[in-house]
Amino acid sequence: MKDHFTMDEPQPRVLDETKQGVIGTPMDRPDGARKVSGTAGYAADHKVEGMAHGVLVRATISRGRVTDIGRASVMDLDGVIEVVTDPRMTRNPAQGMAGEAPVQPGDDVHYHGQPIAVVVAETFEAARDAAQRLVVTYRKEDAASDPDATPDTEVGDPETAGDFDAAWAKADVRLDRTYTTPSQVSAAMEPHAAIAEWTDGRVELRSSLQMVRFNKAELADTLGIDADRVRILSPFVGGGFGSKLGLGPEAVAAAIASEKLGRPVRVVMSRQNVFDAVLRRSETRQRVRLGASKDGQLLALSHDDRVSNLDGEGFAEPVSQASQFLYRADGLSFTQTVARIAATPAGSVRAPGEAVGMVALEAAMDELADELGVDPVELRLNNLPDTHPMDGRAFSTRRLADCLQDGAARFGWADRWTRGTRREGDWLIGMGVASAARSNMLVKSAARVRLQGDRAVVETDMTDIGTGTYAILSQIAGEMLGLSPDRVDVRLGDSDLPGASGSGGSFGASSAGSATFLAAKRIRRDIARKLGCPEDALTLQNGRARGDNREADLSELIDQELVGEAEIEAGKTDESHFSAGFGAHFAEVAVNEWTGEVRVRRMLAVMSMGRILNEKTARSQALGGMIWGIGTALTEEVQSDARDGHVVTRDLANYHVPSHADVPGDMQVVFLEERDDWANPIQTKGIGELGISGAGAAVINAISHATGHRTYDCPALPDRVISSLAP
Amino acid sequence: MAIRFLLNGEAVEWDGPPTRTLLDWLREERGLTGTKEGCNEGDCGACTVMVTEEGGGAKPLNACILFMPQLHGRAVRTVEGIAGPGGQMHPVQEAMVALHGSQCGFCTPGFIVSMATAHLNGDTGHDDALAGNLCRCTGYAPIVRAAEAAASEPVPDWMRDAPGKAGLAPPYVPESADALAEWYVENPDGVLIAGATDVGLWVTKSLRDLPKVAFLNGCADLRGVTREGETLRIGAMTTMTEVLAGVRKAHPSYAELIRRYGSVQVRSAATIGGNIANGSPIGDNPPALIALGATLHLRRGAERREMPLEAFFLDYGKQDRQPGEFVEAVTLPAEAPSLRCYKLSKRFDQDISAVCGCFNVTVTDGVVAEARIAFGGMAGVPKRAAAVEAALVGQPWSEETVEAALPAFGEDFTPMSDMRASADYRLETARNMLTRYYHDLAGAPVSVLKVSA
Repeated sequence: MKDHFTMDEPQPRVLDETKQGVIGTPMDRPDGARKVSGTAGYAADHKVEGMAHGVLVRATISRGRVTDIGRASVMDLDGVIEVVTDPRMTRNPAQGMAGEAPVQPGDDVHYHGQPIAVVVAETFEAARDAAQRLVVTYRKEDAASDPDATPDTEVGDPETAGDFDAAWAKADVRLDRTYTTPSQVSAAMEPHAAIAEWTDGRVELRSSLQMVRFNKAELADTLGIDADRVRILSPFVGGGFGSKLGLGPEAVAAAIASEKLGRPVRVVMSRQNVFDAVLRRSETRQRVRLGASKDGQLLALSHDDRVSNLDGEGFAEPVSQASQFLYRADGLSFTQTVARIAATPAGSVRAPGEAVGMVALEAAMDELADELGVDPVELRLNNLPDTHPMDGRAFSTRRLADCLQDGAARFGWADRWTRGTRREGDWLIGMGVASAARSNMLVKSAARVRLQGDRAVVETDMTDIGTGTYAILSQIAGEMLGLSPDRVDVRLGDSDLPGASGSGGSFGASSAGSATFLAAKRIRRDIARKLGCPEDALTLQNGRARGDNREADLSELIDQELVGEAEIEAGKTDESHFSAGFGAHFAEVAVNEWTGEVRVRRMLAVMSMGRILNEKTARSQALGGMIWGIGTALTEEVQSDARDGHVVTRDLANYHVPSHADVPGDMQVVFLEERDDWANPIQTKGIGELGISGAGAAVINAISHATGHRTYDCPALPDRVISSLAP
Repeated sequence: MAIRFLLNGEAVEWDGPPTRTLLDWLREERGLTGTKEGCNEGDCGACTVMVTEEGGGAKPLNACILFMPQLHGRAVRTVEGIAGPGGQMHPVQEAMVALHGSQCGFCTPGFIVSMATAHLNGDTGHDDALAGNLCRCTGYAPIVRAAEAAASEPVPDWMRDAPGKAGLAPPYVPESADALAEWYVENPDGVLIAGATDVGLWVTKSLRDLPKVAFLNGCADLRGVTREGETLRIGAMTTMTEVLAGVRKAHPSYAELIRRYGSVQVRSAATIGGNIANGSPIGDNPPALIALGATLHLRRGAERREMPLEAFFLDYGKQDRQPGEFVEAVTLPAEAPSLRCYKLSKRFDQDISAVCGCFNVTVTDGVVAEARIAFGGMAGVPKRAAAVEAALVGQPWSEETVEAALPAFGEDFTPMSDMRASADYRLETARNMLTRYYHDLAGAPVSVLKVSA
């Protein structure tokens, strides 16, 4: 029996009443020992008896059709087994939470780098060699790959509140700026990999995936089989950041090749493949218009953007997401344009929307503050809305003002000097601030908890992509059942287990955590019955149950396994209340006046994001996000050939994720106490993406404070900074 | 004839295609999958292994661009060999768990090996030791804190490898410069492999077959930095880690340039001879060496010749090297107090220079007596700024002279725009570097290191 729970009303703070005392503690991750010893098994690490090796073949045209895959050109090579093509093969990973097959293009080519076949051989080297030697014949078609040049654009209807034009006309001060951000990629350290094996008509896929419940449905739909004939295993994922939300073409290729050849097949993407054929973050062109009264009240706020994607992809980077709820104005307007191009398709990369949209909005707020002669922190504090500006929903909890004020005090904001006036040698020094915001969600999730004496097992297909799921689910179950977390085993990433939200959109811990909480809560009911006390009188701590003057050790009381299974989904609180994590980023930079080099000297983030389940894993999520902000501001940029859309920066030497030395030694994260009763029964909010949201803007704003000049194109590379200084 | 080495303390014999990488062998043949492939070209450090050589100590190296014959006579320790034989955790492993230095865990084995190697060597310069490992999860700070926490713990016994004598190497691993010279005259179409940080990519990335190769790691007599009177002689097979140590005192600015050159893993494999011989227009050694007035020593069979280093670089991808001729050494002055080297890159660590400028101006009685200025990233070859030098020589060393020389950069260089920087930026910052150089010699703080980060 499965308990079903819908989030229809605010929930009591049970985790503040339970007695085990492990929630929120900085517990070590239980999977740590395996990770530091190299014994955690990632997808490509497995070796299956009789396994063949597949290498994806990439299209070298940007649009057209394969007229001959050129099978004969490689079949004589030693070790080559087959060149597999199939109408079920997919052109790119599924979008997050699609739950259905991605586009299956048959012989059509839609972008340069699209997988068009998989060459299978006895060894990896033979497969790679053959994939390279394959002589493919195409019929080429013309297609635009440059978002600035394509004639194919879709302009959305404006989303509005109030009358923007009227408010804009009334404004005393108007700022109208255009910003650009380049395409970016997740660059998870583990390249995509899959091993597929068929047994008795059922396929078992080991792959590196973030959302097993959805991925199972995607594979079944792609292959045209029932979902119960699919099993997916993804117990360890070497980073996702959005890139492994959807089932990838390597997994589909492995499954199809394995089926056709009747033996297990492994397909591992090279790093270059990952750049070519995994969803990227769209480049953006953003126009922000802010109109304000002389005394610093925002009257008009508009944030229009142009992003790109390949035809057939429903995803469009939600650039103005945070702009729609951060500040109040009399008139707000948001219009999105999607340019359709023949290039590697776009999808979710950590904090889709906020990660790049907030760079523009928060830079514009900073410039507006300068124009008004108002402190940038003050400007933000003075323009916080009472309710959601677009739909009037109440905020569940929002401590943005506290974050800004607390951060300003900690960072020494009061000592900030006039822009462009502090120098140390030939280094110009500046400080910047930005708000942080990321909307919070609850996604349908199920979990099962088994209590065996004084040990428990948590079972769900939820994944741990480095975020700490193994840790927090053992803490939640341990807290609810009065067990030390080391007495709780957590089994994840197996599609045969109850289906959870998966890891994405920062909703994994809240969603799967709530399901675990509810499953354990159900077991508490059974324990109370066994002990002979009402559920609300039950206290569980250190393996001992107490209530109504009765006491027993769980090891004795629980003579046969108790099983609780629960499922949660969003309900009415989502309609009445808007939930988001909030925070404030502060950065100090030094800019070299001769070279334009930028060094981030220190960063601080103050965040309120609901109940913290594990102080250690949460802090790391925040820190990790902040360095993505540094990457956005300073280094990360996918460059493509505008003629055919082929990715030029397709390795880690040319796509610059921040390296160790780019990150300041002084990086601080402070959590403000918060409980979001409207969000879910464990009062949490998403954590994984708030760290990046706004962080890049704080760096960009600090650069302009240092130099006295603005840059509008990210990343602020040395040549851009230098040219901004030119008179 | 087999390659012999120690793997996690056990003797191993191997025979096979000479361009087999250690990473592939570990993962595919030995089932040691703790060592990860993140990029297969030495950018990310996920495949870091520790390699110990007799008399040379332990170094972290990228297994993805390390060919099996390079291991002859050495000892390799993978992440599986960092914990003790009974499974005891190494102090860096314990600290990484306790301080949350591992999140998704995929880069972790590489970090663990880098950290354990630095720990063994008593190296507490954690920032440098970890510069070659990329992590996308943690923000690095927890990892550095783990390295700091483990630093005072004793080195576990099992970490000290003693590779001993390996016995005779196969013929494609000559064991002296003479043997190499002989082999190369007989095989002028062969490819010489020194550290494989570049040639490795020919194989792993360009998927080239290299039918005839010779590995130079056996040529101990081509290795080392020695002082001969007023001259430093650096053997071609001296790794950049060794060059860094060898020039730190004499040429601190060049040493600092080398510190930002690749990563520990790359510097511990890459050799100065390889860097010069492959003639990259964006290599960081040649500008510094040209500014120093270095002399290149070439050898073919028993014949030797020498030339100013700048004369070696004829055109993009073309060097003045005859078939069968190899770089034997480079010599440079032991003192050059005015040498300054400036590297500009998009990312601070592990990035190819957009512009690398090296300056060495000698001022006598207030007048510029000699000027040697060389750049990387400004032309198809590492190139001297001859017109700028001419504009300085004979003039008083002053801001006015520097100002007057700036237009000459336009005569010397027509840089191109690419993804590293625009042409305008390159030209402007090259000029700015001369201004910076003037202030630097005058004692103003200009180093990027003076900015805490």
